Amino acid sequence: MNKRTAGDRVFGVIVTLILILCAVIALVPLISVLALSFSSKVAVNTNAVTLWPVGFTFDSWAAITGRPDMWRATLVTVITTLVGTTLALAITSLLAYPLSKKEFGLQKMIMVMVVITMIFKAPTVPYFLTLRSIGLYNSVWAMVLPHILTAYNMIVMRTFFLSFPREVEESATIDGCGPFRTLLQIVLPSSKAVIAVIGLFYAVTIWNQYQHPLYFIQDTSLYPLQMKVRQFVNESSELQTIAAKKAVNYTERSLKAVVVVFAILPIMMVYPKLQKYFEKGAMLGSVKG
Amino acid sequence: MKKLLSLVCALMLLTGLVSIAGADEVVDVTVWGTNNGFLPVEKGSPLYEKYVEITGVGVIQPYVEWNGGTTYTEQLNLKIAAGEMPDMFNPNGMETQLIESGAVLDLTPYLETYAPNLYNLIGEEVWSSVKANDPTGEGKIWYIPGVIYGRNAPMIRKDWLDKLGLKMPTTQSELVEVLKAFRDQDPNGNGIADELPSGGRAEARWMGQFFAMFGVAMWEGYPQWDLYNGELTYSAVTPNMKDALKFIAELYQEGLLDPETLLNNKAQWDAKINAGTVGIWEHIPQECYNYAEAINEATGEQPDVALLPVIDADGYEGQGFYTGRKLSGIEYVVANTTDEKKIMAIMQLLNAYGDTSKWMDFFYGVEGMHSQTVDGVTTRLADDKATQQNLVLTPYNTISTADFQIELLSSQLGGDREWAISQAIRNVQELGQYTKLPAGDGIPNSIYGEYADIMNRTLYVEYATKIITGEYSIDKFDEFVEKWYANGGEAVTENARAWYAKKQ
Repeated sequence: MNKRTAGDRVFGVIVTLILILCAVIALVPLISVLALSFSSKVAVNTNAVTLWPVGFTFDSWAAITGRPDMWRATLVTVITTLVGTTLALAITSLLAYPLSKKEFGLQKMIMVMVVITMIFKAPTVPYFLTLRSIGLYNSVWAMVLPHILTAYNMIVMRTFFLSFPREVEESATIDGCGPFRTLLQIVLPSSKAVIAVIGLFYAVTIWNQYQHPLYFIQDTSLYPLQMKVRQFVNESSELQTIAAKKAVNYTERSLKAVVVVFAILPIMMVYPKLQKYFEKGAMLGSVKG
Repeated sequence: MKKLLSLVCALMLLTGLVSIAGADEVVDVTVWGTNNGFLPVEKGSPLYEKYVEITGVGVIQPYVEWNGGTTYTEQLNLKIAAGEMPDMFNPNGMETQLIESGAVLDLTPYLETYAPNLYNLIGEEVWSSVKANDPTGEGKIWYIPGVIYGRNAPMIRKDWLDKLGLKMPTTQSELVEVLKAFRDQDPNGNGIADELPSGGRAEARWMGQFFAMFGVAMWEGYPQWDLYNGELTYSAVTPNMKDALKFIAELYQEGLLDPETLLNNKAQWDAKINAGTVGIWEHIPQECYNYAEAINEATGEQPDVALLPVIDADGYEGQGFYTGRKLSGIEYVVANTTDEKKIMAIMQLLNAYGDTSKWMDFFYGVEGMHSQTVDGVTTRLADDKATQQNLVLTPYNTISTADFQIELLSSQLGGDREWAISQAIRNVQELGQYTKLPAGDGIPNSIYGEYADIMNRTLYVEYATKIITGEYSIDKFDEFVEKWYANGGEAVTENARAWYAKKQ
């Protein structure tokens, strides 16, 4: 082992400091929104809140969590995310696996077709008309089916399968496994890292989706969480019609803050649990043995 | 396949027959417009029924995300591409394209006969502007315009003046004195020099007080077209603007404007006013009770938010004014159709929309949802996006007059709000004397043609902000005017003057 020189240590300190700075930059807006969500109406109205709640109150949170439509939207989002991610992983691995095999004759042609979809995106209007013509208008499936196969994710998964030791698959074949069984019982169980990473990519995409529900969902009872968030985050208009004063201790801005936190909370809770797979995931496709 | 097709045709015929058979039934009209997050209006819902009661027509409005208009336009585009244009909608900038392609209905033959209330209320003068704006050049009425009174003006903390023993400023030197006193003499009495004598928002917006005194036509920070030296000119490139910017830059140097003036967004600037730290600001006097009540909640003081009179500027011989506006954009176009029944239903709806005797009904919406009646007195409930459907038709805002606003405000007086709302009533009453309609009122965006940068006032904002902060000296203003004319300003001015000549 080499001894760490003074230069190494200084380098380490600098890197740590930069990383701490990055963490602070990422955290400050979140903390400030959180502080806003727990602050009183007067404090929010007069910009008195920075990083700590002023006039601490749960009123904004109570107002949002007391709305049945928020919970309904959460349910829609959770279900579409779960169903979507499961389907996406199944479809993606079923395409990525054969494309990683040289024996598969159409491999090259299909790869070219996949890459084409990455470069040329469908224009909005034909895309809308196509999806509507196959019955996805005003259907929860409009929030699931368009997301279940992403070219980029498929390529990452294929690259991972390419590095899978051939000997293991061959021995499985000798023991009598067909290709499906090899995939399901041999390859996938040892590919947890890539599945976790790709699954997370899909889950975050579906959780955060906004365009698809915006274009395709008219029925407000099918709105996912992000559409509800949008409803609150609208800038208030200059002209306001006179109406009774609200006898409540929250404002539009504190409600916005609550909704934003409400919508990212679940993803924030899942992320750290999946962190360990990311270390392996980051190495994907780097060196082939 | 053929069989299936003939079956579909037969079914369509049948549904057609059924709808003819039910001719007495209420006709539904789909209306698209602004919705800042309220619930949609579905068939059979309480607000739908209320509209049937008021107008005799069923009004349906799905939830269409507004988002400053961008998301709305996207979705409108998709609907039109899919062949499902709403029956009546705010075209939000797409009107020229739609009119030229024949997608919207020519309203000229219908309005006067079938929607006389609306036709007469809006008045011949406005209709002639609407006809002058016909992009096909045939002088037809393609849209229902928004018509408003000159509702924007600067306001001042009169209670601060009283406290410091100052009188209402009327000249430029008095104004500077007042601003200095606001800065130095702690008018809010909290012992901290936290007062911001005046200010505005990013892009030099919402500080009309300093433009008005030099005769610069300015609406919410957008330079307007008005007569300068007898010719229609963009107010940003006039010597008046140069004087205004010079004065604003001096105030900025002196610390008489919020140092963050050019960074503030609406929420940030409002928060400073609400905290009771701002002396003079421009907004909409008819809703000044919002500020008054917020200041009261934050500081415990009962402020007097008064109208600031137009200030006499040194060396300016003309009369300053607060810029009014009458023709305020486009509210609705009607989808082109040959379905007479639909057209008649829309006319019936528009006739009710223009019937001032029904405006309070539109304002109160659904009893129990938008308003409540206690002891015979009806009041509008506080806005609540969780429970309230979007009020689709708001003629009291889109064809607003000062008189009706006063009536509206007076109907909500009473109780512990009286002090604040009566300030708004007083301000709206006083506002008329200071307001002038610029000659270019109602000028269509089509005059800008391909010069989007001029329409978006890119160059103006750059020079105005740099001059105010002192990065550029005021001498740079002449360079701006030159550049502006060279980069399309010439052509745009020509178009604007041609429009004005036609309107005359």
